[in-house]
Amino acid sequence: MHEETFRRAVAEAGLNSYLTEIVNLREQVSWAHTHEPEKATEKAKALVRMGVARSRILEPLEKRRVSVEKSVLVVGGGIAGIQASLDLANAGFPVYLVEKAPSIGGRMAQLDKTFPTLDCSACILTPKMVDVIKHPKITLLTNAEVTDVKGFVGNYEVTVLKKPRYVDDKKCVGCEACAQVCPVKVPDRFNENLTQKRAISIYSTHAVPNIAIINPDHCLRLKYDKGVCGKCQEACEAKAIDFEEQPETIQVKVGGVVLAVGSEVFDALEMAELGYGRFKNVISNIEFERISDASGPTGGKILSPKNGKTPKTIAFIQCVGCRDKRFHEYCCRIGCMVTLKQAILAREKINEKVKIYICYIDMRAFGKGYDEFYRRARDMDIDFIAGLPSEIHESPDGSLYFDVYDKGTDKLLQIHTDLVILGTGPVPNKDLADLSAILHASRGADGFLLEAHPKLRPLESAAAGVFLAGACQGPKDIPDTVAQASGAAAKALDLLSRGEIELEPLKAMVDEDLCSGCKICASICPFLAIEMKTDITEGKEGAKAEVIEAVCQGCGLCSSACPTGAIKIQQYGNKQVMIQVDAALAESWAKGGK
Amino acid sequence: MGLSDLMSMAKPNIEARNKILTRIGGKELVNCFQCIKCTSGCTALKLLELKPHEIIKLVNLGFVDELPSSDIIWTCVTCLKCVQRCPQKASPYQVIIALRNLAVEKEAKVPEGYLKAFSQILETGQVDTYQKIVTRKMETVDRECLKLPKICSPREKFQVVFMKAMEEKTG
Repeated sequence: MHEETFRRAVAEAGLNSYLTEIVNLREQVSWAHTHEPEKATEKAKALVRMGVARSRILEPLEKRRVSVEKSVLVVGGGIAGIQASLDLANAGFPVYLVEKAPSIGGRMAQLDKTFPTLDCSACILTPKMVDVIKHPKITLLTNAEVTDVKGFVGNYEVTVLKKPRYVDDKKCVGCEACAQVCPVKVPDRFNENLTQKRAISIYSTHAVPNIAIINPDHCLRLKYDKGVCGKCQEACEAKAIDFEEQPETIQVKVGGVVLAVGSEVFDALEMAELGYGRFKNVISNIEFERISDASGPTGGKILSPKNGKTPKTIAFIQCVGCRDKRFHEYCCRIGCMVTLKQAILAREKINEKVKIYICYIDMRAFGKGYDEFYRRARDMDIDFIAGLPSEIHESPDGSLYFDVYDKGTDKLLQIHTDLVILGTGPVPNKDLADLSAILHASRGADGFLLEAHPKLRPLESAAAGVFLAGACQGPKDIPDTVAQASGAAAKALDLLSRGEIELEPLKAMVDEDLCSGCKICASICPFLAIEMKTDITEGKEGAKAEVIEAVCQGCGLCSSACPTGAIKIQQYGNKQVMIQVDAALAESWAKGGK
Repeated sequence: MGLSDLMSMAKPNIEARNKILTRIGGKELVNCFQCIKCTSGCTALKLLELKPHEIIKLVNLGFVDELPSSDIIWTCVTCLKCVQRCPQKASPYQVIIALRNLAVEKEAKVPEGYLKAFSQILETGQVDTYQKIVTRKMETVDRECLKLPKICSPREKFQVVFMKAMEEKTG
């Protein structure tokens, strides 16, 4: 950040801007050695001496210019990916939107209402989903995954694997006649496995694209033998079903990438004491969303999963899996608001008499209109208990009970309830490990993707040309996700609209005379910037390393690994390092030290 | 300056607090954010005057003078539920054990049951003596008539090692 400022100053003075050498006294001296001022001053002097010595032998360099491919890849079709795609496409740039699931919509599509306004999630999301599929500039690839990314900022070559649907997307009209004849039942992922659907079906009621898909793990025909079943094929009037469909690999060239792969919900099975998985009436908050949703398994009626009756008492337990050193240390940021919303929905949908308890540690209502929403919940006669239970028990009649100590009254309370809803929070997506490896987008200690700077560059990954949007960067609610998605799109537009970009000139250089062709550099280069070319010297065939200049980021790994010293980074070769070592030791030599 | 308890006019004893923290050998305790899970699940809660979450807060604030002489620290049944479930790894268990050892060190009154258990282990090597039981047919039987092997008394060496370990623990 500051380097740029000083380089500009050097350029304004009429010198090549790469003749700048910076000695970082703030971070390497004053911040690091606050308690030892005298020694720190000595270190500062030594560092300045080293900097001066190095600056004598710096060489002028020129920035490299490369053109930018004017299209963007958006990974993930949740609300973040949808918003980013629409913003980019409306600005006139082609967008490739890759979604893993058979439909876009993501987590937001599973929600019933949204806080703090209680507007219906599907009502505000589905128009945007339709906008995506109708947009001439957006190429939508559902049921697909990014498997490889090559290249560098402005010129990425992306490989997308489109898994077979076994249904022709041009012929299918979405009538679901196939699902009516299919004999195989499978758990419905969209409904959080609370219901079952058929092995051939449409992903959800509002799916975009509205096309059936066959689950190859369960379909009898695909699983066993060509001769069996095939009932859907007979029922399909559009003749859309094709059991022979093969996976398709698609190559696209893009200038930038927006990562919007979202998050998963904490699996409460890990927290055994709360009885999730053992007791049917202990459910997670995402399952409650499906139960409360009008298109969900109960048609929007809040019923207990165990006996299908309306609960008379509901208890919410906060901070499940988050703010917990055993699982995830971060605060999930949305759990409190989700619970307040669900408590309000339960009060409105069931009746005045249902007892609602919320056991919490801290109630965090930080956003615009959120504390007002908290007050709205308190107005509705919901009991807030400052304290968490340690464990949940089931009584013989199937109802649940737990002890909880209330800080406000200093009493140990026992709560008997029909339904317990666990405030589970977002956790990093399992795919993030693969994706961050493909794109060199680093992850933080919490497992989420890491922004380039926590305050000043929150929309970018440290990898140039890779932008972050939504819950893949950290837990987020919908307003924050949409804001970040639009921001990431604007950042991508900034990259595309310039047409060409300047790259840092610091890169690896190969001394061909010294290169032995051992290929170590090519094998460790994280950016795949080194290729081996055949070389014929004195009639013998060998190989020499060659740096692809535009791809090289100047990280220096190759230089430190090279056994013959043939490959080095400009300005950071042995010459520059040794002169600094000499300068560092100059004083102790002068004193007669060893 | 600083904090004082207006109910008892007590002042924090930072030195004693640090002694407890040193004995625990970790500072996780200060991470407690009072989620009350320890108290909600405490097996011995109904017998306690002070609640587990209160003990932690008192130690964190430095109000520790009363703690080693109170009988609260002896009521804990060490079921370790709080250790298992504490989201901040700051459970009161470590403090209670540290306070027990400090109490012995200060020669505060130790409940009779503990002393009994102590001499029991020293003499027999068992936490509890074996007892005669009454069967469904109302016969009273002991190990001998059930033809179970005799339980040996511990060797002298055990008693030496045991005493040594106790001294090390309680300083």
